[in-house]
Amino acid sequence: MPSDLDRQIEQLMRCEPISEEEVKRLCIKAREILVEEANVQAVDSPVTICGDIHGQFWDMMELFKVGGACPDTNYLFMGDFVDRGFYSVETFLLLLALKVRYPERMTLIRGNHESRQITQVYGFYDECQRKYGSSNVWRWCCEVFDYLALGAVVDGRVFCVHGGLSPNLQGIDQIRAIDRKQEVPHDGPMCDLLWSDPDEITGWGLSPRGAGFLFGADIAKAFAHHNAIDLVARAHQLAMEGFKLMFDQTIVTVWSAPNYCYRCGNVAAVLELDEHLMQEYKVFQHAPADVRSIPAKRPPADYFL
Amino acid sequence: MTALPSLPPHKLTETPNSRTIQIGEWTITGRTNPISNAGECDALQAWLQGMPLPEMTFGNNSLELEHKSSGWKYTFNTADALKAVKNGELGEGDGGVKVGYADAWLKSRTGESSQLPMPRTVATKPYDWTYTTTYPGHSLEFPSTYASWTLANEDNPRHTIPLAELTRQDPILYYAEIPLFEDELHDNGSSHLLTRIRVMPTCFFILSRFTLRVDNVLFRTYDTRIYHSFESSPPLVVRETSGWEAPYDRIKRQIHRRNDLTPLTDPNWVAKVLSEMPSHVTQEEGAGTGWRGMGTKVEIAILG
Repeated sequence: MPSDLDRQIEQLMRCEPISEEEVKRLCIKAREILVEEANVQAVDSPVTICGDIHGQFWDMMELFKVGGACPDTNYLFMGDFVDRGFYSVETFLLLLALKVRYPERMTLIRGNHESRQITQVYGFYDECQRKYGSSNVWRWCCEVFDYLALGAVVDGRVFCVHGGLSPNLQGIDQIRAIDRKQEVPHDGPMCDLLWSDPDEITGWGLSPRGAGFLFGADIAKAFAHHNAIDLVARAHQLAMEGFKLMFDQTIVTVWSAPNYCYRCGNVAAVLELDEHLMQEYKVFQHAPADVRSIPAKRPPADYFL
Repeated sequence: MTALPSLPPHKLTETPNSRTIQIGEWTITGRTNPISNAGECDALQAWLQGMPLPEMTFGNNSLELEHKSSGWKYTFNTADALKAVKNGELGEGDGGVKVGYADAWLKSRTGESSQLPMPRTVATKPYDWTYTTTYPGHSLEFPSTYASWTLANEDNPRHTIPLAELTRQDPILYYAEIPLFEDELHDNGSSHLLTRIRVMPTCFFILSRFTLRVDNVLFRTYDTRIYHSFESSPPLVVRETSGWEAPYDRIKRQIHRRNDLTPLTDPNWVAKVLSEMPSHVTQEEGAGTGWRGMGTKVEIAILG
């Protein structure tokens, strides 16, 4: 079995999709592993923490160059593996194959894009249809999404989550009580963890969009104090410099998709925590144009009207 | 061998982040750069009185036009496009909306059966989170009162944008697509402002298009078209601005293949559908928001 999986990993490393039958088996195996994981997975240092990838496969290869190969480096990905980029299928399946092959060295937590509803709008569903001619692969991946952990804690000191905090969750222990094995709901604490954002306010704020929470420095600091943690690491928002520290270093946004959507020109970063939880941010650029096989920078002239 | 059509003299210059054409009296420069960095974003946000910026703010992008003999300068840039977004409490005509599931979300927190007590919340900064803008570009210098915009004369054929000339496949001497901002509205849709220009042997033509999709709520498009014929004398610039809006489902019904929703993310498809519907639907009723941007206006400026 491992040799089969190693071959699939090699194939995915070349950005070549594996067969539908192999995806099916991989997803079943992944679910068996993920179902045993807690809502908030305990992770040991040293570990390298990564933010959104969004199907930018060749840029994730740059990430592995900077961060080191798995399993030599332990990784924790904070969700949003899919959608928007051209290679969501290969990106997610590679991460999943690494998870199955090295379960202790690869931690995957759920982002708001790991959802049936969102992937139907933002590209992953279409990509599965295009690459496999049916929606089976998309369906199996979505079933895996439902089993992904909602957060992780490194050495009991660094809390990792895709979006942010929830007004209904003061303690990390309360997150453990959530029944996570479901589609990302539109409301409630599970939704908040995947969707909320830090903001320069005091207390909790309502998003001007009419749904969703914003939280201020006092909330983040109270959460850190109450749970005896040093840092909240989250992803979810584009940071031009690859990471953004806020609230006296209580919270950091890590962004790992360089040149986001192939047109933003931003750099990306990963956060390396060593065995003493010392933080080092490693910044990296997008893959050179000749390897990423994405459209040329300059759009063709068009007789628009 | 067929003879190539004779092209007017022009000069193209290029740097990694900008392209310029000099043709006749005109110098036209398009700048395309990465999104603004953290420092630039902070400065721009301060200039906009604290309004949160779109996720992708191309603050160093612009299109600039300069007409030598009159000194007329016109530009499209990100800062001024965002200045035209409502910053503050939205009122009548601003066309404010909430996300599709806002009512359900609020009810889950505040309804009688809610298991999730709403925390005490502080007021967050009100602004138009859809970044709706009717920015039509702006003049940097008005050398004379002649060169200000006045309403076009409907009976004057020169006061219109000539589609026949623009559909002709003349060679494109210069072309640029300049994104000014983009935001995915936290995965509730998309807000997008893109300025395009093409310079032809006989004219230049600009389309600056704002496109908004709020999932399950509405679509909105605001177009600014600018046309100038090199032959016009005195030099005349025609500007047409149009806004359309429709409920989400009404546009979704226009999709031919029901399972493929990708046309909904194509600003040009959306604009075509909106503009081809009867104007009382998309330029008066809209999506019932009362947005003042709906309608069409044609103006002209005569350059000294």
